[in-house]
Amino acid sequence: MLLKSGAYNNVFKKRLLEIASDAEDIFTVTPKKSIRINTLKAEKEEIVKKLSDYIIEEMPWYEHGLWVRDEISKTIEHHLGYFYIQEAASMLSAIVLSPSKHEFIVDMCAAPGSKTTQMAMMMDGEGVIIANDVNSKRIKALAHNVQRGGAKNVIITNYDARYMPAMEADKILLDAPCTASGKIMYENVQKKWNYNRIRIMSRKQKQLMKTAYRLLRKEGEMVYSTCSLEPEENEEVIDFAIRELGMETLPFKIEGIKMREAITSWREKEFDDSIKNCRRVWPQDNGTEGFFICKLKKF
Amino acid sequence: MQIKKILNEEEIEKIKSMIQKNYGTIPEIEKAFLTSDDRIWLTSKDINFSIFDILKRCYRIGIYFGRLKRNDKIKLSMEGAIIVGKNATRNVALVDDENAMKFLRGEDINEYEEMECEKHNFIIVKRGNDTIGVGILRDGYIENLVPKARRINF
Ligand SMILES: C[S@@+](CC[C@H](N)C(=O)[O-])C[C@H]1O[C@@H](n2cnc3c(N)ncnc32)[C@H](O)[C@@H]1O
Repeated sequence: MLLKSGAYNNVFKKRLLEIASDAEDIFTVTPKKSIRINTLKAEKEEIVKKLSDYIIEEMPWYEHGLWVRDEISKTIEHHLGYFYIQEAASMLSAIVLSPSKHEFIVDMCAAPGSKTTQMAMMMDGEGVIIANDVNSKRIKALAHNVQRGGAKNVIITNYDARYMPAMEADKILLDAPCTASGKIMYENVQKKWNYNRIRIMSRKQKQLMKTAYRLLRKEGEMVYSTCSLEPEENEEVIDFAIRELGMETLPFKIEGIKMREAITSWREKEFDDSIKNCRRVWPQDNGTEGFFICKLKKF
Repeated sequence: MQIKKILNEEEIEKIKSMIQKNYGTIPEIEKAFLTSDDRIWLTSKDINFSIFDILKRCYRIGIYFGRLKRNDKIKLSMEGAIIVGKNATRNVALVDDENAMKFLRGEDINEYEEMECEKHNFIIVKRGNDTIGVGILRDGYIENLVPKARRINF
């Protein structure tokens, strides 16, 4: 149900209409349920066969993603970790980071572990992933999901990521805490939306970005992603990484999903032109939640 | 997480042969360590334990495989059972869909087909190709050892 009033209604919509003329279409979207097959537990074909009664269709942009019926969470296969219920757009971060076997990865804000377990699978359980989160309750869920996913290459740590000890990661995923306005079609997100939270998050995201830079080896690559649609939490953070930290954005391409270019100016601010390399996933384009994703390199 | 010992090749071989004796199959174990409560954990071979000199706030490493018990027995975790269960030929009980659900809800079961089961030993419970957990074979039933956190509630 959509709320009729509130800050989100007056301010949020106005802000987003400045970025996309069809922004109001977000509210017509009900994201479909999606899963990611876990090949650490069984072969893809075997899992697909077992789940055939629940599968609606394959996800065009990811060979391990499937649209499914709701009841799939109540299956033995789910319980055994043969698949992970994961929002479709959120599968993009790991796809773009593309971790390979034997690499050393830091997932700075990892709980409850959907992207950690996705990367563990992409690495075939080899290499190392440091999966960190500050929230001790969410760490428990992360540990449960890592165990259930059979991800033996994961080390779980419990730091405020801004104060993680020095290391030289090959790749970093910074799936940052955010206002989650890409999920604004849900009532609980609408209720929490306010401009002040955007400013607080933006500040924290820049601090986390600074740490990501510190933890990444030279020539190392990282992905920054959020499920927010706010420029302060997305393009502004990337602009900070480029101007203050000297990082560079990298272009990427994924077939089968509609993504729009990130914006290069927001109200009085002009962002670095290379921010065009970042992508926004709008809910109305693919029937997913909203998402922002950027690939960066340290020199 | 308190690591007691990082297992060397010989110690890993010992565990493998214990599993072979109990379940008729040799699982792939590349790197493993023991915690003070005799639990075995599996990790990727690329994890270098010297990293823990730096990472002080470490909560968990790798996956829990199983716990060593007396008389060369091992109580496998759900994931340990899934790894071993794939090719296990003995100490396996096969159940149908209905009993699989019962078992995953935490109930003991008394309808199953035995594959070379030894009484009072840890038995891997399977539904078709799927390993669904571990129990102990008692007189005429399998005692449920599915931990609370891994039970289904539907
Ligand atoms: C968007 S969620 C991460 C979702 C996760 N990557 C996944 O795919 O399942 C953001 C996470 O950041 C964590 N977080 C917030 N502030 C943090 C900080 N300062 N250091 C580390 N983690 C933090 C939150 O506890 C939350 O779990």
